[in-house]
Amino acid sequence: MVRQTKSRIIEKNRLTELLDKLAQDYYLIAPVRDNNVSFRRVGSGSEVTLDYINPVLSPKNAFFPQTETLFRFSRDDSRGSGTEPGAEADREQVIFGIRPCDARSLRLMDMVFNGQYKDSYYLNRREKTTLIGLACFDPAETCFCPTFGIDPASGEDVDILFSDIGDRYLVEASTEKGAALLDRFAKFFAELRGDEEQLREARKAGLAGMKKLDVKAIADKMAPLYEGDYWESIGMKCLGCGICTYLCPTCHCFDIADVSLDEGGERFRCWDSCMFPEFTLMASGENPRPNRKARIQQRFFHKFKYFHDRNGELACVGCGRCLRYCPVNIDITQIIEDVTSGKAGNE
Amino acid sequence: MKATSEEVQTSVKKLFEDGSIGHFIGYETGSDSLHVTPCFLKSGQAASRLVWNPLCANNLSKYLLDFKNVEGKVGIMVKGCDSRSVVELLKENQIDRDKVFIVGVPCSGIVDREKLLEVLGISPAEVVAVEDDGDAFLVTLKGGTQRVDKEKVLRGECLVCKYPTPLVYDVLLGEAVSSLPWVGDDYSLIKEQEALSSEEKALHWNRELSQCIRCYACRNICPVCTCPECIFDKKAPRWITKANDVSENLVYHLVRAFHVAGRCIDCGECERACPMNIPLRSLNKKVEKDLLELFDYTAGIDVEQQPPLTTYQVGDLDEFL
Amino acid sequence: MQDSKEVQTEFKPKILAFCCNWCAYAGADLAGVSRFQMPTDVRVIRVMCSGRVPPELIIRALANGLDGVMILGCHPGECHYSEGNYLTRRRAHVLKRLLSYIGIEPERFQLRWVSAAEGAKFSAVVKETTDKITALGPNRWVDKR
Repeated sequence: MVRQTKSRIIEKNRLTELLDKLAQDYYLIAPVRDNNVSFRRVGSGSEVTLDYINPVLSPKNAFFPQTETLFRFSRDDSRGSGTEPGAEADREQVIFGIRPCDARSLRLMDMVFNGQYKDSYYLNRREKTTLIGLACFDPAETCFCPTFGIDPASGEDVDILFSDIGDRYLVEASTEKGAALLDRFAKFFAELRGDEEQLREARKAGLAGMKKLDVKAIADKMAPLYEGDYWESIGMKCLGCGICTYLCPTCHCFDIADVSLDEGGERFRCWDSCMFPEFTLMASGENPRPNRKARIQQRFFHKFKYFHDRNGELACVGCGRCLRYCPVNIDITQIIEDVTSGKAGNE
Repeated sequence: MKATSEEVQTSVKKLFEDGSIGHFIGYETGSDSLHVTPCFLKSGQAASRLVWNPLCANNLSKYLLDFKNVEGKVGIMVKGCDSRSVVELLKENQIDRDKVFIVGVPCSGIVDREKLLEVLGISPAEVVAVEDDGDAFLVTLKGGTQRVDKEKVLRGECLVCKYPTPLVYDVLLGEAVSSLPWVGDDYSLIKEQEALSSEEKALHWNRELSQCIRCYACRNICPVCTCPECIFDKKAPRWITKANDVSENLVYHLVRAFHVAGRCIDCGECERACPMNIPLRSLNKKVEKDLLELFDYTAGIDVEQQPPLTTYQVGDLDEFL
Repeated sequence: MQDSKEVQTEFKPKILAFCCNWCAYAGADLAGVSRFQMPTDVRVIRVMCSGRVPPELIIRALANGLDGVMILGCHPGECHYSEGNYLTRRRAHVLKRLLSYIGIEPERFQLRWVSAAEGAKFSAVVKETTDKITALGPNRWVDKR
């Protein structure tokens, strides 16, 4: 159950105004429609779209950017060098419109970036960000978050949850950070009228048919599939592109590189993908994952076994992006079913 | 008439039985009734999985490169566009004609899933099947059937397709289609773009290319991207960094457009694969148009025709002086 | 003494010229020896043949911030390696149009034929190109320098 510290409502016609104010006071990231819907920095509420199920890229970019300067260096100090983060690391961020699946993914990312080794770049952004979630009542056919114990209508992993209950939004802050933001913008919100829970239950009817796969003991069921041919046909289809890994809210592999210009340069990190052939290529020329079968097998083992063995959680939130955008329609839900039903062992 | 899935299944089963093929690459139903996925068969036993319908967008010829060293012939299903990339692969000796058994299927259009859902105003869960019906698609829904004009819901590359019937094949399943009624000037969109000012063009492409996340799906799905080590994977020299700022993205897309120049046959897979909806076909179509105008060259038609940038004429146009 | 006011400087373009060893580079040499005056914004890179300049080099140069790139080679029919420049010619046609299509003005990429005896032509080409590109302004594609 979500520990609610504060509940309010906001009339739908006041939302744009609220977003305008948020955009003024914070670095506001919200869904924007362009070629498709993505999380972008917005300067005003009118840029925001609420007509989406889930943006194509997860909000992990706000904490773990695709390209991030780690430090700059120069021959003479006048150009600025050292490890001071740039101005962008100091900004207070608000992400509006994050779905419960993506919000859960941040907890999984925390296990990586705030585990044994603390990643200051990620943590700094994480601390400076307030998460405003948007409850999900009309999921896509590719969504399967209930599989991982995620309630699409719940704000467990966000600071504030907005729920569209018809003529207004129910606004629930479940952390101190969220409650503080509600106080700060109190003039936009009003007291509950009393029928909000009822309206929310009615809206939740749309979630009834959602895919909820059985992932009990999937980590153990993966183990015997390491040798064997199940992954052969999947590897044959796979193109070895980075779509699944780049769109995945929990994928976190990165590469580090230096760029040198005349008098200085920078070291940056950038997303990398285990699906790329040279991901495990060594300087000797040896590649322990030499073909697509080996690489795609590793991806599923990581998500459903290795991460689980290390951190106690499966590294998937059922957002369905990999399934939706895979150009050859590799279906993660089918693979989960094949593994847990034992069919994969018989191929 | 277009061949049915059953006809394809029967033919392929027979091909395995009489030893014509040892492997087959085709399509089977995917994650739901609006998706198909590539299917790899090693025997005729599972031939009943094969399908052939207006959802079969994938250009399977890319996978021929994986079968270069296998025992026995590999059979493959190709539409008109796919057969043209097979011609290009043959031109470059990437595949051996004697090791491939081409099952050609004349095609009268592949449906664009997003356009279909939008035009019919439905959700994917309502769809049961999509079938070809002359100048329309017949969509079977859970609550009945709907007929929708092809022109409204076709994939972009089908709207300008000049070769609906495969140009190379060992067997043809279904009636040959000579031309598609909706095809007009295939370069009208390119011409519109060309007419813009430099500033407008730069603004447009800067916007599009800054959305690129460099997933390389466009490169990996392209049947004529065949280099064992891609220029962008080379470490020495390193042509682009992994950073995805717009300059790196520009280099990637422009160089790729140039590298597939004279080989791209507009199958549209690059644009279909792109998760960010970048209009990639526009770049390649521009090069295609120029090659036609400058050197009277069309890719994927004639195995004997020399790729235009590997040859020359002494009297070639010279604007340079 | 720090002058913190931004001084308005005239735009000086950065232009690369790939010159083939046998004709264009020799022509550039001749221009120098003959003391022909020309702007100094063009940086010369010697290559053995204009045909060895791949499109990725031109594209990379423009993406790196160069305001213009030129290839200078032997006149068609006079290539030291017989055919190199014929291939350059075809390639340049396609590249020029592609660059123009994405908003890089066609004047920023030039292919010119300069023989070993054409010192005057070399300096004229350098002057003409520098003037044209100065008029166009900085390469707007690059957002970092």
